[in-house]
Amino acid sequence: MTDGIKRRDFLKVLGVTGASATLTGCSEPERLLPYVVAPEEITPGVATWYTTVCGGCSAQCGMWVRTREGRAVKVEGNPNHPVSRGGLCSKGHATLQHLYNPDRFHGPMIREGDRLRQGTWDEAEQLLAAQITATGNVMFIGGRMGPSMSNLVDEFVAAVNGTRIEYDAVSDAPLREAARITYGATGLPSYDIANARLLLSFGNDFIETGSSPVAHNKGLAQMSAVDAAGSKGRFVYLGPRLSTTGLNADEWYPIRPGSEAAVALGMAAVIADDAGAAGPYADVLRAYSPAVAAQAAGVSEDSIRELAERFASESPTLAMGPGVGGHHRNATAANIAVMILNHVAGNVGRTVHYDAAVSAAAGAYADMESAVSAMAAGQVGVAIVHGANPAYSMPAASGFVEAFSQAAFKVSFASAMDETAALADLILPDRHFLEAWGDSMPRSDVVALQQPVMQPVPHFDSKSAGDVLLATSVHLGNDFGATTFYDFMRNGHMEMHDDSVGDFETSWRLALRTGAVEHDMGTTAAPSQLQAPEVALSFDAPALDLGGDLTLLVHPSPRFGGGEFSNSPWLQELPDPVSKITWHSWLEMNGTTAEERGIREGDIVRVTSPHGEVEVPVWIYPGIREDAVALAMGGGHTNMGRWANGSGVNALALLPSESEQPSGAMLTLATSVTVTPTGERRRIATIEGSSDQHDRPIAPAVALADLGHVEEAEHDEGHAEFQELQGVGGFVPVPSEGGAATAFPLEGSRHGPYAESHDLPRWAMAIDLDKCTGCSACVTACQAENNVPWVGEEQVMMGRDMNWVRIERYIEHMDATQAGDLDVRMLPMICQHCANAPCEPVCPVFATYHTPEGVNAQIYNRCVGTRYCANNCPYKVRVFNWYRYMDENVPEPMNWQWNPDVTIRTNGIMEKCSFCMQRIRDVENRAALEDGRAINDGEIVPACEQSCPAEAIVFGNIRDENSRVSQVVSSERTYRVLDELLNTQPAVHYLRKVTFHEIASGGHD
Amino acid sequence: MKKHWLIGGLAGVFALAGLAFVQGGGGEGGEGAEGAVETGQPIAFPHNQHAGSEPGQNNMDCQFCHFSAERSVDAGIPSVASCWGCHVAIPGTNHPEEVAKIQGYLERDEPIPWVRIYKISDHAHFPHMRHVNAGLECQECHGEIQEMEVLTKPDEWWTPAKELFFGQDPVWGGDNMGWCVECHRRPDENGEQQASTDCAVCHY
Repeated sequence: MTDGIKRRDFLKVLGVTGASATLTGCSEPERLLPYVVAPEEITPGVATWYTTVCGGCSAQCGMWVRTREGRAVKVEGNPNHPVSRGGLCSKGHATLQHLYNPDRFHGPMIREGDRLRQGTWDEAEQLLAAQITATGNVMFIGGRMGPSMSNLVDEFVAAVNGTRIEYDAVSDAPLREAARITYGATGLPSYDIANARLLLSFGNDFIETGSSPVAHNKGLAQMSAVDAAGSKGRFVYLGPRLSTTGLNADEWYPIRPGSEAAVALGMAAVIADDAGAAGPYADVLRAYSPAVAAQAAGVSEDSIRELAERFASESPTLAMGPGVGGHHRNATAANIAVMILNHVAGNVGRTVHYDAAVSAAAGAYADMESAVSAMAAGQVGVAIVHGANPAYSMPAASGFVEAFSQAAFKVSFASAMDETAALADLILPDRHFLEAWGDSMPRSDVVALQQPVMQPVPHFDSKSAGDVLLATSVHLGNDFGATTFYDFMRNGHMEMHDDSVGDFETSWRLALRTGAVEHDMGTTAAPSQLQAPEVALSFDAPALDLGGDLTLLVHPSPRFGGGEFSNSPWLQELPDPVSKITWHSWLEMNGTTAEERGIREGDIVRVTSPHGEVEVPVWIYPGIREDAVALAMGGGHTNMGRWANGSGVNALALLPSESEQPSGAMLTLATSVTVTPTGERRRIATIEGSSDQHDRPIAPAVALADLGHVEEAEHDEGHAEFQELQGVGGFVPVPSEGGAATAFPLEGSRHGPYAESHDLPRWAMAIDLDKCTGCSACVTACQAENNVPWVGEEQVMMGRDMNWVRIERYIEHMDATQAGDLDVRMLPMICQHCANAPCEPVCPVFATYHTPEGVNAQIYNRCVGTRYCANNCPYKVRVFNWYRYMDENVPEPMNWQWNPDVTIRTNGIMEKCSFCMQRIRDVENRAALEDGRAINDGEIVPACEQSCPAEAIVFGNIRDENSRVSQVVSSERTYRVLDELLNTQPAVHYLRKVTFHEIASGGHD
Repeated sequence: MKKHWLIGGLAGVFALAGLAFVQGGGGEGGEGAEGAVETGQPIAFPHNQHAGSEPGQNNMDCQFCHFSAERSVDAGIPSVASCWGCHVAIPGTNHPEEVAKIQGYLERDEPIPWVRIYKISDHAHFPHMRHVNAGLECQECHGEIQEMEVLTKPDEWWTPAKELFFGQDPVWGGDNMGWCVECHRRPDENGEQQASTDCAVCHY
């Protein structure tokens, strides 16, 4: 190389040619566009935050929205919200993708023959008014909406003499009906999970669906945390299948589908000294002895008796009745049975409250059935659908599609195409909740305001449904005292305002700023006596539609809910918390069942019920009973958007169109099915490496009884079996004999982290695995914050998934044949920011290195894509851009969501968790501006920590011994993954999960 | 040695093509093409007239218009209304026809499509406020803007080539990281390096 080109020169020449290529390839110089008139609240480059209410689902969590230059770029949980109290789920994060969904309508659409033509708003509103006048017989089918919108719809419908149907695809109607029957309650009960010492869930997936998954998730984490007295609450799941919620249980009673009522009553019978304690239900209690319950549930009588005794003695306790996945023909009775159990155990008024009505999606399917018959009979002139997609979310057997077509004029308020809008004559695209005014009442004593956080996305000429109804009313000659929905809503709040608490304007502004206002409702006397049902109820196991040999369990997807979230690539690519499968649908089947039938994982089977059939691949799951199979909702969209269409199958095709009595809820657990292999196979798009730790201490646990002397328990066990790992581990030579290390722990592991000489912070994280529920909110939060691309189903199958956070789910013990201990370990795996990082020395270009602040940095512009670092990473946390995913997969305006503070990576670049470096820099910059003050502990909050409903993640400076992270890490439960074997010195510390049962062997599991 | 010049020559061809493009591109510069002043910008904005301290010039502070340099990562481009705030009363002495264009943009509710001159790569983050608050003059990075009638950036994009072929020092940094680092490395009053040269300070 003496007379050849030097490496540095060569790179410079390359740089020059690269630069000129860029210039010549560019057709237009880059422009700087100033505001014409600068908005006061916007400083370019500085985020502006707004509070609002999440409109994703019926939980209506409080939300903080980060906007940059007028664009919403990130949503976060609002810790000041009295119900959700911070944290946000994956679906909440993904509402941003619905805001910037390129499949939204560009304006009002008017049907002309077979096609839809874009019209003007005035034209559309005149048309709607003319049709209402001409045809009459208005039917308004509305999903969940805020109280003001609901009032407006009522007024609108009354003025045109129409009918209103409330419809929620995923509904808690049986629970609401049970609370009404037993206690005369108006809403759902509210639960105090955090204070329960023994929690029973009878198939209630409360951290995924229901009245407030985020708050319940937080409650569960608080309950299961070890308190000062060294005790923790115990969670027992009773149901045929373990959902995400179920995986967090300490014990699993795999009871027969539909036997919840029998078990709850059998337990109540044990607890109550005298059946009279159950008031009007005394006869029922007498009829269900533990023996009867055991017979019905298929678990031993002793186990039911023993659980009942604990439920009575470990007070306060709490039991929750079957949720959406358990809506069988006796679901209301099952919920009543659980309420009786709570009643006799004395939990009412302690952990379960009926006086603060919790609002929830509880529209009855039965009303939709009557709507369908009315439409089919030609009794509906103008059918208006708002906030619902019944053509998808009602079983095919319901006949909705045919009946809807019978209406003379069909109107949809869908903001993007869905299966119902596709049938409509007029589409009036509603605004996304981040662009519109609204309000919410998540509990009867809380009012929260939903304010627009940005101007409507300009690509779409949308209008809020409230404004459309008001404008149409003007054409119809009706006056509701306001011309805009904002005025209508504000007037309503002004009327309700109690002047004794201060003037309206002040409290309105306070509500806008904090996000929610709590009203002192006084104390309404909690109902203390159970009331008799006015209709006959059966507490027996429900009848199933026959014809098959396996019970079909259909449940809302933790990712897609009932299917309304399906057109989001983040959620499509979010690994399901249970199966770790992305994009497509799968049928869950117990390994024994599969083996009997000669079915292997990945085999595509035909699932046939008396109502329909679907073809879907099988995923073998030990967490489901041998006599059942499960299918999640949310797949199989045919006309929704580019990401939802054709992904998975619609489970509702297998269900009857039937409502539960007396609540009127749609049945989800109603039929048996046959499963026959089609002979075809497919590769499952899973990110799971293994559900087994292979005897390595990745997610160790500690028994509650061993707390206080964890280290001794550890050392007693010895680590001989890891010697082969020690031989290759670490970068500091260790004494060895015959290839195996002789010292343990390794000499190298006693070295402190390098870069200790600096007077700089050392960033570190602690993750408490006893709190983590595996809900995966952090995965989507990280994706939103860090511009992490999605890659698509094909690429996931090739192992090219790119999420920076991977929730490992290790199944240690799971037995679907008998009641017993359950041990599943959830572990959020991110870059461990090793002080002695294996990735760093192998990078030939210094693209990954250790910063003086203890972060393992990845410098994108240095990276040349050798992927050596990923090969050498023992944690598999580095992901590689095989293509220009961000350019090719992200259509305008979805790229408006990108975080401007984070570099967009192109193809050929390695990336991974950066500890949210941009957030560290942002806080540093702000502190520097404020006279160079020190950074406060807890001021830097990475996206995962912010989003975690369980508050399992803590980030901070570990060099400051008073910081939260130092405090947490000082726990005896702290360990670092594989550190003692590989001497990687990670900055991410985990706290062992605490179990009630003894940890079997090896000290590592 | 032969290969060296082959590659160098190729680079030169590309570089010339790029230069030709930049000069050619200037002609398309919006309405400026019709006016008397050729700047490549939609309005021939003279920085010297505004910020210069010569007689007849206005000696304005940079941050009067670039309003967020002190508190944001972005220095800020003045809104059209903010230009017109002064020019509603000042019709302009040298080129009133250029000043009049502001009113046109304001009335049409249109942003002025300024051609961007200074840009660092998307993979580097430059927080203006940290530098301004550290006492740096704007000129340290942007050059003697107050003396420029037409804003040009010293040919920073081929600075590496200049260094390579002619051994010259770069005038303005821009995409040349060495130029940033040179300043970060300078000693402060205690003789310590005055700013961090950790990669992740700018690249994340």
